[in-house]
Amino acid sequence: GPGVLTRTLLNSGVRVVALENDLAFLPDLQSLENSLDGQFKVIYGDFFRLDPLVTGPVKPPTVCSEKLFESMGVAAVPWRADVPVKIFGILPQKKERNMLWRLIFAVYECSSIYRYGRIELNFFISEKEYKVLTAKAGEKRVYQALSVLWQIGCEIQLLHMEPWASFLTNLKNGGLAIPRSTALPNDHLCLIRLTPRKDLFTGTMKPTNSSTFVFMVKQCLAKPSSRIIDKLNSWSLSDGCKLLRELEIPEDAETVSLYPEDYMRLFDALQNSSVFTESWFHDEVLESARNMN
Amino acid sequence: NLDSYAIELECLGRDGSSPKAIQSCVERLKNDGFCVDELFQKCLFEEDEKEMVLRAVRMIQPDYELPPPPTPEICKSSLLRDFYSKERNASYPKLDFSVRELRKRFRKQLEMEMSNTITIKSVEAMKPMTPQATKARELLASLRSQWHDSLLQALQKAKHDMSKTSMSGSKMLYPYLCLLPDEEYVSIMMEVINTLSPQGVSLAFLARELGSKIYNRYITHRKMRSRYLEKVQKVYENYIHLLAKDSQPDNYLPREYWEKLVAETGFGPSLCLKDCSWPYVLHMRLGMHLLELLVQSVKVPRNILNPRLESKLIPVLYHIYSFRNTWQVGLVKPHPILCQIIADASETTLTFNSCVIPMLCPPIPWTSPHFGAYVLNDTKLMRYVDGAVQHQALLDQCPQVNLHPVLDALNQLGNCAWKINQPVLDIIISIFNDKGDEKLDIPPPVSEAPKPPPTPSNPSLLNKAQKHELMLCKKKAAEMHSLRMDSLYKLSIANHVRDKVFWFPHNMDFRGRTYPCPPYFNHLGNDVTRAILLFAEGRPLGPKGLDWLKIHLINLTGLKKKNSLQERLEYANEVMEDILDSADHPLTGRKWWMKTDEPWQALACCMEIAKASRSPDPAAYVSHFPVHQDGSCNGLQHYAALGRDLIGAISVNLMPCNVPQDVYSAVAQQVEEFRKKDAQQGVRIAQVLQGFISRKVVKQTVMTVVYGVTRYGGRLQMQKRLKEFDDFPEEYLWDASHYLVKQVFNGIKEMFSATRAAFLSSLPASPFPLSQHWLTESAKLIAKSGQTVEWVAAPRPRSLGRGACSPREAVPGAPKPDTVKQKNAFPPNFIHSLDSTHMMLTALHCLGQGLNFVSVHDCYWTHALTVDVMNQICRQQFVALHSEKILQDLSEFMLKKYCSSPIPDNESKALLQKKLMEQLSSVPKTGDFNLKKVMESTYFFS
Repeated sequence: GPGVLTRTLLNSGVRVVALENDLAFLPDLQSLENSLDGQFKVIYGDFFRLDPLVTGPVKPPTVCSEKLFESMGVAAVPWRADVPVKIFGILPQKKERNMLWRLIFAVYECSSIYRYGRIELNFFISEKEYKVLTAKAGEKRVYQALSVLWQIGCEIQLLHMEPWASFLTNLKNGGLAIPRSTALPNDHLCLIRLTPRKDLFTGTMKPTNSSTFVFMVKQCLAKPSSRIIDKLNSWSLSDGCKLLRELEIPEDAETVSLYPEDYMRLFDALQNSSVFTESWFHDEVLESARNMN
Repeated sequence: NLDSYAIELECLGRDGSSPKAIQSCVERLKNDGFCVDELFQKCLFEEDEKEMVLRAVRMIQPDYELPPPPTPEICKSSLLRDFYSKERNASYPKLDFSVRELRKRFRKQLEMEMSNTITIKSVEAMKPMTPQATKARELLASLRSQWHDSLLQALQKAKHDMSKTSMSGSKMLYPYLCLLPDEEYVSIMMEVINTLSPQGVSLAFLARELGSKIYNRYITHRKMRSRYLEKVQKVYENYIHLLAKDSQPDNYLPREYWEKLVAETGFGPSLCLKDCSWPYVLHMRLGMHLLELLVQSVKVPRNILNPRLESKLIPVLYHIYSFRNTWQVGLVKPHPILCQIIADASETTLTFNSCVIPMLCPPIPWTSPHFGAYVLNDTKLMRYVDGAVQHQALLDQCPQVNLHPVLDALNQLGNCAWKINQPVLDIIISIFNDKGDEKLDIPPPVSEAPKPPPTPSNPSLLNKAQKHELMLCKKKAAEMHSLRMDSLYKLSIANHVRDKVFWFPHNMDFRGRTYPCPPYFNHLGNDVTRAILLFAEGRPLGPKGLDWLKIHLINLTGLKKKNSLQERLEYANEVMEDILDSADHPLTGRKWWMKTDEPWQALACCMEIAKASRSPDPAAYVSHFPVHQDGSCNGLQHYAALGRDLIGAISVNLMPCNVPQDVYSAVAQQVEEFRKKDAQQGVRIAQVLQGFISRKVVKQTVMTVVYGVTRYGGRLQMQKRLKEFDDFPEEYLWDASHYLVKQVFNGIKEMFSATRAAFLSSLPASPFPLSQHWLTESAKLIAKSGQTVEWVAAPRPRSLGRGACSPREAVPGAPKPDTVKQKNAFPPNFIHSLDSTHMMLTALHCLGQGLNFVSVHDCYWTHALTVDVMNQICRQQFVALHSEKILQDLSEFMLKKYCSSPIPDNESKALLQKKLMEQLSSVPKTGDFNLKKVMESTYFFS
């Protein structure tokens, strides 16, 4: 909309492309476009309905990243190049979790917007989701698969925190439509910056094998109190104990106590052994890869 | 309570205590307001407990006599007055078996149930075996015996450890691991390995299943131990005199005779077990525990299929999480190695729980909600979702006499003896073992599934389209696998009983709809299963029987739906050559039968017609063939009758007409009229839909609208139909289906005067009183309304409809019920209960006239000879049922129950109550349809 975000961005002098999903706001934005002489462009579309999973023709405001980048006039750059586009937005409260999952899958696969390089996201998200993204190993109930995947995949910076109290509400009872949170503090709206790491694909990790990493982390942290050695054994690994010793991970460690880097090292080690091709793991990854795409 | 005194007296009697102690006990009992007679009338006893209590009582009162058994009560329902009248001298039909034969069959059944599971040959056993399969089977056998041993060891170790630890979570399970011999736990666990689907099964489901298997086995053990078995056996052996052809008593209903025999035996354990059901959590925890044992102790060498790998024992089952959106499900999956071995072995035996097989003797008659059907297997009179308790509670609180008609109807359905149509079964098996045939509904083996493109070693290299294709292949294979297995079970069970006579015990759901208990193979199944079932009892065709067979055949083909019976019969005679050719050369001839709606039943019917018409005297030809009569859109028939809607009544054949009326065409026509009007007024979507509205498009929605399809579901149905048109513009799908469903609903309202439909659907819409007193009040409702049992059927759904939505919500004191779901669920449930009531009434009156009768909801089956009688009874009962003031009574009950509380102080609540009262009292005026006309309507059921 022609709101505070658009205004601030325009005032700072950058070129702005606005994605507007509400037909009601379009005419005003279009007249703004005409009056601003090329600094501003508006497209009818919804960023939160980007690249739908279903196949077939898409109907606006659903958009395809290909079309979007084409009309923005932005070409793909290599992963290690600088950030080609910065995206600003406010995540709808109900879709936060869902969007964060879809975006992180896309990062690891270099698909969707990340096909065009390391796109920087500047999002307003709730404090509780921010806490999850930045949770540290060992923090039970906070540290999740999403934490590991985002921390390995992107640099996460907190730019600003705004108390919920600063916002007006149109609810009758005067409250805010914020999902209640018991385990985590949720008093602020946080502006965070998510920049994909330059070196994400310099080691063993490749866009082609990263789904195995995602699968491994999800399986491990589905039950955070399970022991990592049990997981390795159930993947019919020939010698899980030896592997853990080599990586200097205690044998009785719970999966919640492993650092993101530990998972990365585990993945490196397993990638070089035969586990991923010989055991059932292979089939399962394939299956789960389907589920996310 | 009374049970405590019974236990105390039992102990006193058992150890021969002093009369003084007994005297004091009896005095305390009396002080608490009980009397000694009540002990014997109300308490349930096992083993010799009753004798011990009696011994104690006689020590202080030597001449004490047991109270006489209560005189049987007679149901006084106005609809069944004749059926239950004292003067009745009905002689109910006998089975074509001698007492000796029935006794032998009973022993066979008992033997089967005692051994809990039964292993039968699958129909695939007829295929020759490959050397590879032989090898795999040997391997599997040796693995199984290893697994068995390690499971046994693990179980014993777990028990040992539990007994050592002090109180803890797992200790709580200890007693439940000591109920059965260790071997039985192990064999129940082994079943999991043998039956686990390669796609994996949800952990919670598996655990619950394991838990309830243990529970059921325990109940069986308890029955075998507690002298219960002895007593059932004794009573049953007397009971069969009622059914056998060479025996005396004949004017008792099965239930009455059984009750009489039980009363006569006097001593021994009660045939109802004391309540000992386990809470849901216990089932789960026990199951989880056993599942964990399985996962941890069942292993296989990693290199068993590929000797090049180094040897290491790896688990056969593993936990995995499947992620759906943002939530996760725990699954247990078999290792691909196990799947491979099992697939290679293609074993040809199937192991089932004994209650999956039809009964080999007439079922035990239902005499109470807790007793009936199988000999040992616990069966519920009413099926419900796990965890829902209110159904059973309501049944228990209802005076038993009001349940009699329901029990008697179920007994009548269950007492129908069946046999296999062997020639048809053989043809089906031959196709099944060849390559299946999707057109004929014989699922092909998975080996016929489309092959996925070869996958590169790294799955991520696939592009989106390839992944999609791979997914479709896998999905198709999984679907084919489950269809194939389902068919395999059905055919194998049928083949197992091919030379036997068998019975399907019945139970019902909360609306009174009846179902056979054996889950896979029964007459409710698809075309294939129905085609292989015959009545075990044969009856001559009689003068009109052959004609009925022919009409039945044409009904099965679906060809002459709009024609009169006479025209259908003429058509059958016209195509007689095709019919005979189908019968004689089913697979090599002209294959006329294959092009029909229900090909397999049509084939079976062709064969029957061929045999009958070639016999010297068709009227004397003894036929076992069931002839069906279908209600035409039965739900709408009840709606039309409730409101006496003339137009509605005509469209669903309540009015006599020369040719059958077709409600779907009528609705389609109505919708088309709406469309034309809209199109003229420039409604774009109405213009787009020109030429697309037909009977076929509206049929499914009209059919399901009575059973509660919502606009949402209706729209999906419409969208599916419209998609079938190649030339329908895709971009209009959503709008068009949305428009159509609206117009169909309007059309139905037009025909079945809106007021009545609205009255029904608005009843439970007011949240306030219903939610509060729902459960407690509905029990009373049943009691009150129980004057006629059919009212039992009527009020029941209101209390239980909620159960259908969410069982846990239904526990008293739980949160408010979901008003939307109640509102949507009530009218269809009410209509369902009406149709089941109609069916039960018909069943009972058919029994009274000595007919063989079974039903598939609104499709009634009987011998060709007796179709006319059944048709008459069916119409009489429909008229009788709807002559009762159904809606008025419903309104009165509801008013009394939900609006008789004092006016609440709270203003808005008072307003709500007032509104509800108005709503409930405004029973709509009825139309001018004369109900009696149904008697003359040929196409009412046809």
